[in-house]
Amino acid sequence: MSNPIEAEKEVCLLDDDLSVLKSMHYLLASEGFKVRAFSKAADFLVHASTHDVPVVVTDIWMDQVTGLEVLARLCAISPKTRVIVITAREDLAARATAMAIGPVAFFMKPFDDEKFIAAVRDALNQSAK
Amino acid sequence: MENHTAAEQSYNQSKEQLSLLQTITIEVAAADHFSSALEVVLRRVCEKTGWVIGQAWVPNRDGTALDCGPVWFCGNGELRNFRVASEASHFRLGIGLPGRVWESKQPAWIEDVRDDPNFPRTATARNIGLKTAVGLPILSGDKVIAVIEFFMRESRSKSEQLVKVIAAIAAQLNLVMERKRAEEELSRTNEILQSILSNMGDAVIVADKDGKLLVFNPVAERFFGPRATQTTPSEWSRQYGLYLPDQVTLFPPDQLPLTRSIRGEEVNNVEIFVRREKAARGLWVRVNGRPLRGPKGERLGGVIVCRDITQFKEEEFFRAGQSRVLEMIAADAPLADVLTSLVLLMEGQAEGLRCSILLLNRDGKHVRHGAAPNLPEAYVKAVNGAAIGPRNGSCGTAMYTRRPVVVTDVMTDPLWSDYRELAKICGLRACWSTPILSPQGEVLGSFAMYRQETRGPLPEEARLTEIATHIAGIAIERHQQQEILREREARISLAAESAELAFWILYPEQNAAWMSEKGRLIYGFDSNLPLTCDLILSRVHPDERAAVKAAYDRSCALYGTFESEHRLLLPYGKTRWVIMRGRCLKDEEGNLLETVGVTLDVSAQKQADLQLQVQREEMAHRNRVSLMGEMTASFAHELNQPLTAIANNASAARRFLEHGNIDPALLQQLLQDMVADSQRAGDVIRGIRSLVRKETSVHALLDLNAVITETVRLVSTDVLSRESVVTTELDPQLPQVEVTLVQIQQVLLNLIINALDAMEGLPPAERRIIVSTRSDKGDVVEVSVRDFGTGLPKDRPDKVFDHFFSTKQKGMGMGLTIVRSIVEAHGGTIVAENAPERGARMIVRLPAVRGQTQTIAAA
Repeated sequence: MSNPIEAEKEVCLLDDDLSVLKSMHYLLASEGFKVRAFSKAADFLVHASTHDVPVVVTDIWMDQVTGLEVLARLCAISPKTRVIVITAREDLAARATAMAIGPVAFFMKPFDDEKFIAAVRDALNQSAK
Repeated sequence: MENHTAAEQSYNQSKEQLSLLQTITIEVAAADHFSSALEVVLRRVCEKTGWVIGQAWVPNRDGTALDCGPVWFCGNGELRNFRVASEASHFRLGIGLPGRVWESKQPAWIEDVRDDPNFPRTATARNIGLKTAVGLPILSGDKVIAVIEFFMRESRSKSEQLVKVIAAIAAQLNLVMERKRAEEELSRTNEILQSILSNMGDAVIVADKDGKLLVFNPVAERFFGPRATQTTPSEWSRQYGLYLPDQVTLFPPDQLPLTRSIRGEEVNNVEIFVRREKAARGLWVRVNGRPLRGPKGERLGGVIVCRDITQFKEEEFFRAGQSRVLEMIAADAPLADVLTSLVLLMEGQAEGLRCSILLLNRDGKHVRHGAAPNLPEAYVKAVNGAAIGPRNGSCGTAMYTRRPVVVTDVMTDPLWSDYRELAKICGLRACWSTPILSPQGEVLGSFAMYRQETRGPLPEEARLTEIATHIAGIAIERHQQQEILREREARISLAAESAELAFWILYPEQNAAWMSEKGRLIYGFDSNLPLTCDLILSRVHPDERAAVKAAYDRSCALYGTFESEHRLLLPYGKTRWVIMRGRCLKDEEGNLLETVGVTLDVSAQKQADLQLQVQREEMAHRNRVSLMGEMTASFAHELNQPLTAIANNASAARRFLEHGNIDPALLQQLLQDMVADSQRAGDVIRGIRSLVRKETSVHALLDLNAVITETVRLVSTDVLSRESVVTTELDPQLPQVEVTLVQIQQVLLNLIINALDAMEGLPPAERRIIVSTRSDKGDVVEVSVRDFGTGLPKDRPDKVFDHFFSTKQKGMGMGLTIVRSIVEAHGGTIVAENAPERGARMIVRLPAVRGQTQTIAAA
């Protein structure tokens, strides 16, 4: 936990797939990130409304709702939150939509851990500025 | 002197009387008749002993009185008056002189009839001057058969001597009479015998031991011709035309019954056929022979009695002939042969008789030739094909009116006006025809008798006609039935051959079998190979042989019918699929006699079925592969999720290790999670593979709700990517179904993806799919997939199941066709309909399995 920002600020995770959610949690934790994980979009949106969420890593394809909808809502609730999208499916239309809303990074599952962590770190640092 | 004279006189008298007795005895013995003997006695007694009248009295027929006999003697002139008076008299027992002798059976002497109170003829006697009378009985045994009386003019005292002499003479007369009567008796017996021999119906022939024919009665002459006096026994057979029963071989002379009886044999019931040179017809005799022997047993000759058995034999031959014809009918001889035999048999029964049989065509209007072996060919040809009618000769009319038609003279009968010339040329004069009727009364034809003389049928000929029409009726009807049967068989056979049907009959008891040509082709048997049940069974594929045999035995025993679909293995390894159907025929005791049936070669059909199934599976597979394409998002998502988790966990572990602050428990957790996600990834791969694999159906009991949940989850990513929602409304009480998981998933996926496709043009908020289950009746499970899309063709919602029907640009149009074939293969149905508000609803109904609680979770 060399970087104090990283230690103070929470990274939110949203994925309805529990094992994916859990593994990302471990991955970020292994780099000293403080992580808050959500498996339900509604829970996350409530959290985002009441807390400062600098960075969220979200899946696009979830059972109840798409990540794009979450993004749209988040834009309204917490415009400053940096968004990193992870998806299990190549979908150019979804990617374009997501980029229009404004995520800082877009990853295809499974992804390169170094780049992912770098992206999370960048997002945290930028949110701190 | 006087004494001497008296003595001498007496002596002379006696001597005279003795000589008289002698003379009369000789004369009487020489007389060939009683009356002539009596006449001698009456005359001689009168002449020699001084009587002037002698006459006899005999009892009348009823024995009540004596009448004057026809023989008498008297002297001259007026004495005849007494005879006249006598002839007018009848004496009862004890009345007059004859009556007295008749009663006393003793001689009576009257010295002077004028003084006798019991002498009714006394007036006549007085007129003539008769005085002395004597009467004597002639006895046969103790019966008086006659009384003789003598009269003289002198009155003389009774002379015992004279009475004795006359009595002795009378006794002679009695002896003569006895003898004569015996002779007469004998001659009468001879006459009777002669009469019998002349009048008896049997021939009697007697021969002496040298073969000389002593007796040859008139019947013998009738049978054998005139008695040949000069022939020896060895020539008899030729002389009299004697043959063995074969009617051609001359009877061996040394075996002739008469020859044998002369040899001393008893001969019983030997039948001889006699045909004399000039006789038109032969005759049959049955002969019995006996040897003739003298008092000491020496052979004198032989006697035979021959009885005419011609009629009996002819009837026997006739009956045998009828039997032969009936046998021909039973043996299915050609109808023409049967009818010809029948006609010949009838013709043989009467002299000069010609017969014919005509058949009525099936059109009921024309006749055709049946049999007429002895009618002129021109006549037969002319009649063949003629029409029947009310005036169409004897036969045409008989068939038309269904009644016998007797034409005694075809030259004058109006019925024959059309055929008169023909008949004349052919020399036919009388024709009597009788219709031949079936037992049901249908006219089959006619039987006709022809004669060259004009007359009607004799009773015997009428009887023949009756027999002939009866037999002909049987023959024709049987022939017709067999023709119908043959035609039907031919039709069936033809139909069978063209339908690839093989006919067979099995005789299990004899291990014998018959099979039609087509059958032999199907089973691979040569045309001339003798068949057995075992041989046929040996053609059944070895894998199925025992089962087929067992099924056959069981079916035959239980139901009397048999049906089996199995393979045949022919020589050189060729395999055929056949369906065998049979029916058992049993006797009254239920023993299996034979099984008749058919075998249908269904190889081609089977091949096509298999081909079709392969094609269907291929299509289903392609459909599943194409479904994979539709579901790439879902599959990518499904697979990438666990892979992501694994990668993350591995990465985390590495990082923890690099930072050196790893908690062993955490590391354990990470590794554990990686294993779990690897397995999950494997499951996903397996799931995909199972959908893509060309697997055959494996039914299992499944909870359809679970299958739906899993399938909806599987496709969820694609549903999301198409901005659609799938919701489920599942009946918690749903019974289980027995299905092949992959196929049911395929059905659901097809229906869901179709629904998604149908809603592509809608705003995302309206893109909803409802998958629901229910089981109202309990024996059917219903799954419906409802969308809110554009709906189905209004006129024919079920058109969507047709091949190549598609509303989609990229669609093959096979999806729903495959869906339906899968559902139907599961014993279910699928219905396409438009939902009440909008959109389509596909309803799948599958048979429920009751009483099963165990659930096999969807993989």
